[in-house]
Amino acid sequence: MQQAVVYGVITGAVYGFVAIGLVLIYKSSGVFNFAQGEFGTVAVYFLYLAKTGWHLPYPIALLVALGVAVVMGLLTERLIVRPLFDAPRVTLLVATAGVALVSIGTQVWLGEAKPRTIAPILTEPNRITVLGVFVSDQRLLVIGVLLAVAAVLAWFFSRTSLGLAILAASQEPTATDLVGISVKRLSSFTWALAALLGRLAGVLSAPVQGFFTPGQLTLGQGGLIPGFTAAVIGGMTSLPGAFAGGIIVGIAQSMAGSVSWLNALRGSQAVVVFSLLLLVLTVRPQGLFGSRA
Amino acid sequence: MSALTIEYPEDAEDVAPSERRREATASFRPGVGGWVARGVVGALVAAVVLLYPLSVPGFRAGEFTTGVIFAIIGLSLNVLIGYTGQISLGHQAFVGVGAFTSAYVVTVQGQNFAIGVLAAAAVGGLQALILGGVSLRIRGLYFALVTLAYGTLAEDSIFNIQTLTGGGAGQPAPRPTGFVSNHRFYYLCLAFLGLVLWVDWRMMRTKGGRALLALRENPRVAAAYGVNVRLFTLFAFVVSGVFAGIGGALFAHQTTFVVNVVFNFQLALVFIIMTVVGGLRSRSGVVIGSALFALLPPLIKMLRLERPLKRMDLTIPVIVLAAAAIATLVALRKRTRGAALWAPAAIAAISLLVLLPGRVPFLEARLHDVPPLTPELAPLVVGPLLLLLTLTQFPGGVGQQIRPITQWLRGRRFDIHDRGARDVVVTDVRA
Repeated sequence: MQQAVVYGVITGAVYGFVAIGLVLIYKSSGVFNFAQGEFGTVAVYFLYLAKTGWHLPYPIALLVALGVAVVMGLLTERLIVRPLFDAPRVTLLVATAGVALVSIGTQVWLGEAKPRTIAPILTEPNRITVLGVFVSDQRLLVIGVLLAVAAVLAWFFSRTSLGLAILAASQEPTATDLVGISVKRLSSFTWALAALLGRLAGVLSAPVQGFFTPGQLTLGQGGLIPGFTAAVIGGMTSLPGAFAGGIIVGIAQSMAGSVSWLNALRGSQAVVVFSLLLLVLTVRPQGLFGSRA
Repeated sequence: MSALTIEYPEDAEDVAPSERRREATASFRPGVGGWVARGVVGALVAAVVLLYPLSVPGFRAGEFTTGVIFAIIGLSLNVLIGYTGQISLGHQAFVGVGAFTSAYVVTVQGQNFAIGVLAAAAVGGLQALILGGVSLRIRGLYFALVTLAYGTLAEDSIFNIQTLTGGGAGQPAPRPTGFVSNHRFYYLCLAFLGLVLWVDWRMMRTKGGRALLALRENPRVAAAYGVNVRLFTLFAFVVSGVFAGIGGALFAHQTTFVVNVVFNFQLALVFIIMTVVGGLRSRSGVVIGSALFALLPPLIKMLRLERPLKRMDLTIPVIVLAAAAIATLVALRKRTRGAALWAPAAIAAISLLVLLPGRVPFLEARLHDVPPLTPELAPLVVGPLLLLLTLTQFPGGVGQQIRPITQWLRGRRFDIHDRGARDVVVTDVRA
């Protein structure tokens, strides 16, 4: 039980990363970005390639992964989102799903459909216990980075002019343009930022599991659906809400795997996430933390 | 005559043409020669559809059957996405449940094929009724999200019920007697496609069909005119579920053995992509687009069958050609100097690097590492590229591009500029 909660919080932290990326993009472009998980998976593939294929040291490999994710985010914004800026939002959703599928297809094609192993940065497995549960250093790193990112983002969106400009553009793009802020540039920047968060989710979560597969963060219960659920719990517009939503989904999912009567149900995790999503959307569509849009 | 340009947002073959448009075209009647020409072309198309699969050996005729089944699934999505503007990212669940229902009814319950298909259709409709009944108060992006989560739920949960699906081992689904051979089963599926097309066509001529089109254009305005938006969306969702169930049942009996891993999220995306590339709200376009996607793997296989090719022989040139074509199209359409300059330059650079592998030893090694693009993977890689091209450049899809021809076949004047509305977009739903 305690283990379920502790591990749930850690998995939830990864969903939190995905959810923040989704919320950021939703706020700036009004798009549900189905490629968000793929920013992470592609980064993991490049981390693996740089580390195992090109024999680069881990920090540099991480930088390569970072660069690739940011480039992918910028390309998606420039080639897909901007040409469709005036298109209905559902068209954009289909388009980002297309980006995700290109990415998965390419991973299966070039990377073969087999799981590949990836080592954690911090290898110590059981130095620290939380609530009587051993927590590996890598898991602690996930939590630590999330908290740090949360703090940085909170500062960024409340204190820096760039962060405020992004908020302004999400609320009223025309007026933002009129006061001399380039909404287009902000859009590019937001996508790069979201890709960066996706990449963090990828390169931090894959080593916890120890392996990764094509479409890891998009398919099944791996990241995108829990991430969306987390974002919806947060009301799709609230960044702290997305954090909290991620943790809630993580714990719920982890409980589903450990509570016996739930676990007897096949695909219990999917059932729990689906129920949570449906419940929030039908009972409280503005989310637990969001305001009525 | 050219002064008479009417820019009505006429979307589909289904929309009753506006009065002015009718006046403009009413005067035109094809002569005897015109009708003969139309008849010949129509007969040629029919002959290709009906007779060409007969000319290929039986084991390959199955590929055409898959094309027909995909067309049914595409039409199912078209009802939902095209007519109501809602999107289902979990259609693999509907198709899969249909497939397993039919397999279960035929194999475990020992019933015949007709009952299997009926049960699949009924379960598909019921499934849509329940899911839609619960969730259709949510529209647009959030509804898509619910269907996405439902799709994975089905993958993890429903498709693992031992008695229904045989767990991971799969469920046999024998073909009906008299339609065991691939050729015969093809005609059976074709008959079902005809049925689905007919139902779709008649449905859109009813009051309900017009209500669907109205609520897609603008749900609020439609509601103000007394259309029960939620009820009609649910109705379309149920129809879509019934079509998907039929498609799934045929899919099961086509493969004769259904395994649950087939119905994954990638498949759902391929369904959406083929429908959008085909062209929403255009029945002919959706059928062509869907069949195209089903035939993509055999097409790639066929290209390779001629002689054993080395790994990169085909892969790289295909990619380069595709990239070149896309870039050129973009450059041509944008007519911007920047794109016109850098796009060909980039293509030339890539082509040079690829065509002269001997001169670039480092790159040659890298290129030889590229695994072959297998036929099974082709829809996953080529499909989304086609989708993105369609969305950004030709939003009306295949249906819009072939519209002059389909209109001509119906006895209108051939007008190359008749593309329906200038901007046919996926939906007009604001989330």
